[in-house]
Amino acid sequence: MIRHLFTLIWNRKRSNLLLIVEILLSFFVLFVVSSLLVYNVYNYRQPMGFDSQNVWEINLNPGADTTAFNQKLQLTMQRLKAAKGVVGVTKTSSNTPFSFSTINGAYSYKGKQMPFNDNYDADDDFRDVMKLNVVEGRWFDRRDAASTRTPIVINTALKNAAFPNEKAVGQIFTDEKGKKEWQVVGVVDSYRAASDFAEDAPMSFRRRALDYDMTKKVSTYELPVLLLRVQPGSGAMLEQQLIKEISNVTKGWSVTVNSLEQSRVSKLKFVLTPLIVLGLVCGFLILNVALGLFGVLWYNINQRKAEIGLRRALGATGAGIGGQFLSEMLVVTTLGVILGLGLAVQFPLLGVFGVASGVYLQAMLLATLIIFALTAICAWQPSRIAAGIQPAVSLREE
Amino acid sequence: MIKLTDIEKVYQTKTIETVALNRVNLSINKGEFVSVMGPSGCGKSTLLSIIGLLDEPTGGVLELDGRPVKSYSDKELAHLRNQKIGFVFQSYHLINDLSVLDNVELPLLYRAGVGGKERRQRAHEALDKVGLSARTTHFPSQLSGGQRQRVAIARALAGRPEIILADEPTGNLDSVMGEEIMDLLLTLNREEGTTIVMVTHDEHQALKTERLIRFFDGSQVG
Repeated sequence: MIRHLFTLIWNRKRSNLLLIVEILLSFFVLFVVSSLLVYNVYNYRQPMGFDSQNVWEINLNPGADTTAFNQKLQLTMQRLKAAKGVVGVTKTSSNTPFSFSTINGAYSYKGKQMPFNDNYDADDDFRDVMKLNVVEGRWFDRRDAASTRTPIVINTALKNAAFPNEKAVGQIFTDEKGKKEWQVVGVVDSYRAASDFAEDAPMSFRRRALDYDMTKKVSTYELPVLLLRVQPGSGAMLEQQLIKEISNVTKGWSVTVNSLEQSRVSKLKFVLTPLIVLGLVCGFLILNVALGLFGVLWYNINQRKAEIGLRRALGATGAGIGGQFLSEMLVVTTLGVILGLGLAVQFPLLGVFGVASGVYLQAMLLATLIIFALTAICAWQPSRIAAGIQPAVSLREE
Repeated sequence: MIKLTDIEKVYQTKTIETVALNRVNLSINKGEFVSVMGPSGCGKSTLLSIIGLLDEPTGGVLELDGRPVKSYSDKELAHLRNQKIGFVFQSYHLINDLSVLDNVELPLLYRAGVGGKERRQRAHEALDKVGLSARTTHFPSQLSGGQRQRVAIARALAGRPEIILADEPTGNLDSVMGEEIMDLLLTLNREEGTTIVMVTHDEHQALKTERLIRFFDGSQVG
C-alpha cells in the first residue's frame, strides 16, 4: 500500500507540487517562529544570576550643581546605608537591570578580540545587594583600590569564550591597542540584566570608585545609579523617608525611586509585545494555510468520488478509504517537511544569528510536530467524509 | 449462489418516494451468464449495486452462498466484494493517474497475504487474457475505449472472482469493440465458469447469454 501511495502521489506530482510548496513555506515560517519561541523559553528558564526582589533603583540628577559631586554622593550612600529598612546600598552605571540602556565593548586577549560583551560599573557592595553568585575567585574589595589595572569580574559565558581551558582569575584583558588593561579577579555564574528573555551573554563588571568628574559635560546616562536592597514589605513610607534623607544632602538634585520589579514588568511587556504580534501574525498565517489545505482536500475528495466508489467496490473498507486519504496527505506533508528540514538545517550549520544549534534542532522538531498535527487535523474531516461516501452513489458520479 | 427474495429499494427524499426495485425474486446459479435488460431508470443498475454489495436493499433478503448479506459487517462486505466479486462498468472507472498494470493490480491491493510480486504476476496474467500485455505501462488516457474496457475486465479478472457484475460493459463502445468485449465475457464464462450478471440495453448482446431477465419500473417482467 505504501508503494501504491507513493506511485499515486508521484503520478499526481503536478497537483501535489503546489501542496508541497505550501507545506514547505508553512514549515519554514513555523520553524522561524519556533526558533524564536524555543530561544526565548530556554532563556526564560535560565537563572537570572541576581535577585531583583526588594531592590530599589534611585536615579540622581544634580542638574547644574557640579560642586563636590563625589563627596555628596558618598554622604548620600552613607545616610541611605544607615537608614532603617535598608539592607545594602551600591552604585552602578545607568544600565541597571531591566533598563533600556546598554554599555558594551569587546576586550582583547593575547591580541585576539573577544566577543562583544556588556559592561556594568560596580562597587564592593554590588554583589551583596544584587545577591550574585561568585563561582571563581572573589568579588571586588579594598585590595582592588591599589590595583594598577581595572579589576573586573566576568560571567561564565565570557570566561568560556576567553579562557575555555584555563582559570580566569589573574588573566588580563586589554583594549584593541593594548593601552588599557583589565584584570579578572572573579567569575559570577550569570547576570542576565536585560530582561527575563535575555541570553546569558558574555558580560563583565568593572570596579569603579567615586571618580566622577562633573566639571566636564556629563550626559544623564553617565551618571551613577544607586541600587538599594530594602527589607521585604518596605513601601511608600520608606520611599518618602529615603527621598528626604537624600534631599538633606543633595539640595536641588532631582531624585526618582522605582523598584526593579516594576522595571522588570515594564521590560517584560516591551519584549513580549513584538513576540505576541509575531505569534498572532504566524497564527493567522497558519490558519490560512489550514483553511487552504482543508479546501484543497475537500475539493480533492469531491473530484475523486468515483475513485472512492471504485475502491470500495474493489474491496476497500470505509475506514480504509479514510486512512488512504489521511496517509496521502501525510506523505505529501512528509515531502514538504523533508524539503523544509533541508532548508532549516542550514541555520545551525551556518551558525545563523549565533544561536545554539540545540535551539534550531528543537525548533525543527516543534515545527515538524505542528505541521503534521495541522495537516492531520485538516485531512481528518475530509477523510471522514471520504470514508462515509456510499460506493453505489459515488460510482454514478462520473 | 445468489438469491434475492422480495428485494425492494426505495429512494426517499423529503417530498418524493421513488421505488427503484419492487419485490424482486431472483436466483442466479453458479456459472450462469445472466443478462438484465430494461429501459433507463427501471432499476437495473440498482439491482447490480445490491447484488454487488455496494448498496443495501430497503426490504427483502439477499443471500450469497446461502448466507443473508444483512448479517455482514462493513469489513466483511468489503472482504466479500474483494474475494468474490469483480466489477465492470460502462464508463470503465479506471484511475487515470495509475498505469494499466497498477489499475489491474488494485483489487489485490486490498487482499491480505498477496505480496507485490504475486500482484504483478497476476496482473500480467489478467492483461494477457484480455490481450493487453503490451500496454502495461500505458495510462488510461493513452488507450481507446475498447482497450480501457479490456483493462477494466482484466482488473476484474485479477482478483479471480466467482462473480462478475458488468454494468453495460459495451454501452460506450462501437459495435466492433462491443462484440470483442462480449466475446471476452462469454469466453470467461465458458472456460473459467465465472458467473456473470450483465446489465445491457443491447438485445443482440443479451440474447447471447444463457438467461435474459427483463425489468420495467423496478419489477421483473420476464
